Amino acid sequence: MTKTWLASADQPGPSQSGRQSRGMLIMSNQAITLTAICFAAGLAFATPLHAELKATKGPNGEDGTPASSVTLTPEQAAKIKAGHYTAALVWHESSDYSKAASQGAIDEFTKLGIEVVGQTDAAFDAAKQKSDVETVMAKKPSIIYSQAVDPDTAAEVYNIARDAGTKLVFVDQPPKGYVYGVDYVTLVSDDLSKMGKRAGDAMCAAIGGNGKIAYVYHDANFFVTNQRDGAFKQTIIDNCKGAAIVAEQGLADPTRAEDIANAIVAKNPDVEGIYVTWASPAESVLAALRNAGNSKTKIVTMDLSEPLALDMKNGGNVAAIVADEAYGNGVAAARAGALALLGQKVPPFLTVDNLTVTKDNIPEGYRRSLHKEPPASLIAN
Amino acid sequence: MIAVFKTIPPSRYVIYVGFLLIFVTFAVLLRNDGFATPSNLFNIAQQTAPVTVMAIGMVYVLTAGEIDLSIGSIVAVSALLAAVVLREWSWPVAVVAGLGAGAAIGVLNGALVAYGRLPSFLVTLATMGVFAGVARRMTDLQSVPIQNDFFNAFFGSGSLLGLPSLILWTLVAVAVGYFVYRETRYGAHVHAVGDNARAARATGIKVLRVRFSVLVLSGMLAALAGLLYAGRLHGARYTLGEADLLTVIAAVIVGGTRLNGGSGTIIGALIGSLLMGILNNGLILMGYQPSDQMIARGLIILIAVATTLREPNR
Repeated sequence: MTKTWLASADQPGPSQSGRQSRGMLIMSNQAITLTAICFAAGLAFATPLHAELKATKGPNGEDGTPASSVTLTPEQAAKIKAGHYTAALVWHESSDYSKAASQGAIDEFTKLGIEVVGQTDAAFDAAKQKSDVETVMAKKPSIIYSQAVDPDTAAEVYNIARDAGTKLVFVDQPPKGYVYGVDYVTLVSDDLSKMGKRAGDAMCAAIGGNGKIAYVYHDANFFVTNQRDGAFKQTIIDNCKGAAIVAEQGLADPTRAEDIANAIVAKNPDVEGIYVTWASPAESVLAALRNAGNSKTKIVTMDLSEPLALDMKNGGNVAAIVADEAYGNGVAAARAGALALLGQKVPPFLTVDNLTVTKDNIPEGYRRSLHKEPPASLIAN
Repeated sequence: MIAVFKTIPPSRYVIYVGFLLIFVTFAVLLRNDGFATPSNLFNIAQQTAPVTVMAIGMVYVLTAGEIDLSIGSIVAVSALLAAVVLREWSWPVAVVAGLGAGAAIGVLNGALVAYGRLPSFLVTLATMGVFAGVARRMTDLQSVPIQNDFFNAFFGSGSLLGLPSLILWTLVAVAVGYFVYRETRYGAHVHAVGDNARAARATGIKVLRVRFSVLVLSGMLAALAGLLYAGRLHGARYTLGEADLLTVIAAVIVGGTRLNGGSGTIIGALIGSLLMGILNNGLILMGYQPSDQMIARGLIILIAVATTLREPNR
């Protein structure tokens, strides 16, 4: 007897890709509705804040140290090679970002004679990440390079590795309660303030230093996006005197970005530029502008995306993309882990560099950020 | 011996053969990589405990000819509710709250399906969405740590007589689930309703009550799985269980439960669940990249499902 329920069903949850999904949070439809109402009110009363552009800080206020300053001497490298160490990569998800960072780590580990014995992807599932750590521990890795799905509850995920003496290097945030130098080696992240400043400068240039700007920021307590967004806004206020931020909209669910863009343009038909907190929602904003036949409003966002880069190459709405050197994150993590094996201390918060990608330097952007050649569509004339 | 095998439909034994085959393959290929060590095998059994518990509920639901797509959302709601209650109250209150939430959602599903005469696929698809949203709103997307040592030990990281508590929960759930399914009048009614509801009704079985009850049972077992996740992670988060639905359905179907109702197997579901755990574990230890792990896992499940569903008289 065939039942009416017989059909295929997709798993719940949004599609999540890109480096920014590290901090992505989702909202229910009702919450979005409430946010939209607040947004409408916010548009009327938005007042720019005045504060100085702050240097990049870690999640616990750590000062940033350039990741490139972490190196091994030939003697240290020789000791590591002689140690026949192993490493595992335990990711929270799979994306261009994690892939490039993994490659950086694998290349550097290989140079140092460290064998990579396992790679996992938790698909944003904290329980799976715990299983992944338990599984790779069967191979007793000397180093684990990882980004936690949920730092608030991640201590229970990594305790088994920490207790076994495995050196832990985290991207962005440590598990809550973990102590630098005791429970983990270091954090590797971006120069977030610099990324925001680059985006602000790029926006100012794109609108010729004058005009109305909409600011779509990440509406969640996540220090990575919060610092990038804040630095963008501060740069506009400080360095782009002819521009005015006329609309500020928090974004919690990237799938709603198109609705947000439509609302912004409806309210401000003469908006010259829209800053979007990261690439995935920026793609939706671009779609909204295209559907509205708007070819003049410029978009500036963070992190490489082929659709956005293609639009930029073709002289469309996208003016600039600020991209971090994800590959460098993996290189720094591998070096930090190796130094920890030798008993050397590494600064608590390492920041990798970033660059502004415009239509003139797309291939360079892909090479520096993701350590790969750009997709064919971005090279063809 | 071969003649005996020929008379039994492949769905009855292929899971056991497949399980052994895959286990032995990994044990040989990964003989130097820690796969067959007791600690790794214990890990696999513990990791699959929540999926096994949900799979038992799904066997009842599928056997009765229904489906429950809301189990992942129930996991998140019950785990979060228990974690929130534990901030102020003792662990028994939290357990009652967590299981009660699962039962309540099950009652809602069951009432709409049995008495509202709506298809379970659509009802539970809707409640899956509703309660995924509820889980997000409950704590405003924030994780909730659990610091109650007894709760964490009882549901997650504790052990009794050397056996981890998650394995004990698995054994208890499988034993009770098996007994009720195979040895009680209720189990027989579930089979009868899924096999031929009209005939079941003619024999005096309260068909609507059976449909209602399997969805309540599934809700409660999903809630128990939520408590197991919460205990294992010492905390709860709205994403818990979100990715489990397809794993549970795959484990149950690969285990030999018919997708169309009327027959199923609790032991098969256990083996199916362990098979999923072994695949995850073994493919990581093989050193595959995550994308290759997904492809390999999908292909192996496809082969297993194709073999399971090929019955001689169809």
